[in-house]
Amino acid sequence: MRGLLLSLGAVVLAFIAAPLLIVVPMSFSSAASLEFPPPGWTTAYYGAFFGDARWTQPTINSILIALAVAVLTMAMVTPATFALVRHRFAGKSTINLLLMLPLAVPHIVIAIGYYAYLSDLRLLQTFPGVILAHTALSVPMAFLVLSASLKGFDRSLERAAMSLGASPAATFRHVTLPVLWPGFAAAALFAFIQSFDETVVALFVSGRDSMTLPRKMFDSIRTTADPVIAVVSTLLFFTVAALVILPMLWRSFSRSRS
Amino acid sequence: MDEAAGSPAVSRRIAPQRASLRPWLLLMPLLVFLAAFFLVPLAQVAMMSVTEPEFGFGHYASIATDGFYLRVLADTFATALLVATCCLVLGFPLAYAMAAASPNMAAAMMIVVTMSFWTSFLVRTYAWMVLLGRSGPIAALLDWIGLPHGELLFTRFSSTIAMTHILLPYMVVSLYAVLRKIEPSLLRSAASLGASPTSVLRHVVLPLAAPGVVNGLTLVFVLCLGFYVTPILLGSPREQMVAGVIGQQIEEFLNFGEASALAVVLLASTLIVLGLYHRRFGLDKLWG
Amino acid sequence: MQNHKQGHLGRRAALALGGGVVAALAAPNVRRLRAAEVLFVNTWGGIWERAAIKNLFEPFTRDTGIEIRPVSPVSFAKLAQQVRSGAYEFDVTTLGGGEIIRANQAKIIEPLEGTDLAKSPPFHGAVFQNGATSHAFATVIAYQKARYPNGAPTGWADFWDQGKFPGSRCMQRYASRVLPLGLVADGVPTDTLYPMDIDRAFRSLDKIKPATRVWWTQGQQSQQLLRDGEIDMIALWHARVLELQDEGKPVEIVWNQAQIDRAYWVVAKGTPRRDAALRYIEAALKPERLAGFCRDAMLGPLNPAAFNHLSEAEAARMPTAPAYKGKVFEQDVLNFGGDVNAVTQRFERWIGA
Repeated sequence: MRGLLLSLGAVVLAFIAAPLLIVVPMSFSSAASLEFPPPGWTTAYYGAFFGDARWTQPTINSILIALAVAVLTMAMVTPATFALVRHRFAGKSTINLLLMLPLAVPHIVIAIGYYAYLSDLRLLQTFPGVILAHTALSVPMAFLVLSASLKGFDRSLERAAMSLGASPAATFRHVTLPVLWPGFAAAALFAFIQSFDETVVALFVSGRDSMTLPRKMFDSIRTTADPVIAVVSTLLFFTVAALVILPMLWRSFSRSRS
Repeated sequence: MDEAAGSPAVSRRIAPQRASLRPWLLLMPLLVFLAAFFLVPLAQVAMMSVTEPEFGFGHYASIATDGFYLRVLADTFATALLVATCCLVLGFPLAYAMAAASPNMAAAMMIVVTMSFWTSFLVRTYAWMVLLGRSGPIAALLDWIGLPHGELLFTRFSSTIAMTHILLPYMVVSLYAVLRKIEPSLLRSAASLGASPTSVLRHVVLPLAAPGVVNGLTLVFVLCLGFYVTPILLGSPREQMVAGVIGQQIEEFLNFGEASALAVVLLASTLIVLGLYHRRFGLDKLWG
Repeated sequence: MQNHKQGHLGRRAALALGGGVVAALAAPNVRRLRAAEVLFVNTWGGIWERAAIKNLFEPFTRDTGIEIRPVSPVSFAKLAQQVRSGAYEFDVTTLGGGEIIRANQAKIIEPLEGTDLAKSPPFHGAVFQNGATSHAFATVIAYQKARYPNGAPTGWADFWDQGKFPGSRCMQRYASRVLPLGLVADGVPTDTLYPMDIDRAFRSLDKIKPATRVWWTQGQQSQQLLRDGEIDMIALWHARVLELQDEGKPVEIVWNQAQIDRAYWVVAKGTPRRDAALRYIEAALKPERLAGFCRDAMLGPLNPAAFNHLSEAEAARMPTAPAYKGKVFEQDVLNFGGDVNAVTQRFERWIGA
């Protein structure tokens, strides 16, 4: 029984990994088709991606939008997290639920809401429109990560600093922030990736000038079997790998240092 | 936790009447933002369902009586249930293997799961199109073995397997979170008392894993209900899911009223499931 | 000291992020400043787009200085949405016969009366239903040669015959083009198709539905499905098949009972770039430009003067060639047999049912 479970587990792991890995060889395929194994190999499609403004522009758009979303999200979520974690007041649980609400609503539902709402505000297909929508959607995850970090924070450090004469502001800057920094960065990273990957709302709300990479990919996958899609997929995959593995390496590095 | 704890010097600096206002000041930007840029558009969806193109509950009546919509909704629920079950069946052995493995091994396996979790589901959907295509590896393998396979892509099968793959990490993480907490000594003592491995599994592991199972099933089910991208890209046009129909009503027919009504039905279903979970377990456990 | 350094780093990081936010918000404006005037034209991608860029867009830019940016994908729904939302993805697009009727009904295209094009049309029928008549294309049957070594389909009745010609089908998700095919397959002679018996057409379509795996919406998608071998038989535009044949792919085209449709350039209603758009569609009908476009995209120009710029061999590949005259049939959209919009809605429902 145990052996069966373990071998099944290995199979499932392969099931998870295989599709992720298949995009890499596909990006070097010489055929503009879904044929696998590819009939020939070339790096031409990498050149096609970096040389085609219709792919690079949405990529840049997505990066800029995700950056703005991360900044805006953290600017609002950070004080809110402090309020919810460190203070006791009536209505806390309701607010908690409210902050989780964007996670509970299917994206297609809020997408049509944004479509109508931003259209009325004349913000449809604009950068600010996409940024505002994505920020709302990033709030729950950023809050979860930051509040987990804050809850684990040892307040005695702050108390010690203040008892030594530091003002609350100085304590925050020199004691709280440096210790909280990893959680803060993680929350910001979540917000960034959330916005960068978000597809459904972007399909309805981003447009010609503000087109995001997921939207471009969706249109592309729907119509062609362009290996450029595999190129984008491979680049995204390795970027994610870097973003996920780097913090883990950093953590083990700083752990071995201390 | 109030800031008044600590040295008297600190508590003197904070004026008592401002202490109760402080959390609200900190919360205000976020609350105002969410109200303006989340609650209002959401409310607009509900509004449009009864005001577009004219006031009335016609759209809801239409949904309740139209065979097409009822079938789409039933299909959506059935598919979500199917995908949740598949995720459980596949996720449990993996989570078990991770819990039983050495810490390094478990960490390595977690990296794979995490990588899948963070990879955009457009990328994963595309990968499945390659895998299941007529000139893809799976078709080639089945041909080589000699198994007749019919069409693999643009079917309910391709849609289901891709969604299972995309949602599997949620299930694995939920299960792993509970399985790793099970003390190995507990399993050993059960075995030493004469329980067979199957028995240990049934009477010790599964009950302890139950919260993770419920967690995973709820999460996957709810996420699958609202799935838009994958069924459209590689599903069958005859078995559409409700999110795709909503999108189509807007994009093809500008039928905001009908689309909004369907969206409200979808949202209500999601909230009901989550509400039931919250009643029993508390929502913070779901994303904890 | 340590604290100062951290403070500096923090400030620098904040400035960088702030700069990023500002850049994000300013990005579209920067682009707008650079281009003098821009026009956004919807294209079908692939061979169509390349031909359009070379023969229609670039000459127009040389003449007027207005830059043309191609926008994909083509979507009738987008055309309607733009008018409502005021956010224009494209200013100019092409519509088929069935769509232009719907577009006029929904009032989503700019009326052409009063424009130079309407006042002195370059040829008879240049302006039709507020569209500039450009070219003709055909919906033909294409199939994988390897799948049908003993006898191939020769018409729509064969396309419908799953017993004699088993395999998966694919058709365009476009009601006004597909319904007539259903009638032809059911035995209605092509010269008595219109006004159509809509119910009979749907009944005929019911027979082919189980075998239809995909309903394509984009030209390139249809070509990809054929090229990848995902489907055995497909009803798609002739140029896409000819292109695959030129590539050496083992697919065959059936010209018998090919269904001709016409494409019209239209301007999106209320677009801020209306004047440039109107200039463009007028320029697109110029004989040499149209001839070049049709030659490269393998379409049939509807401006008779364009044939002065085409060789006999080139003209022979076009659906409007005399050689095909006895085989092809035209749509009669003005005599549809029902409300095009309502029928399209019914068709969409039918697909998902």
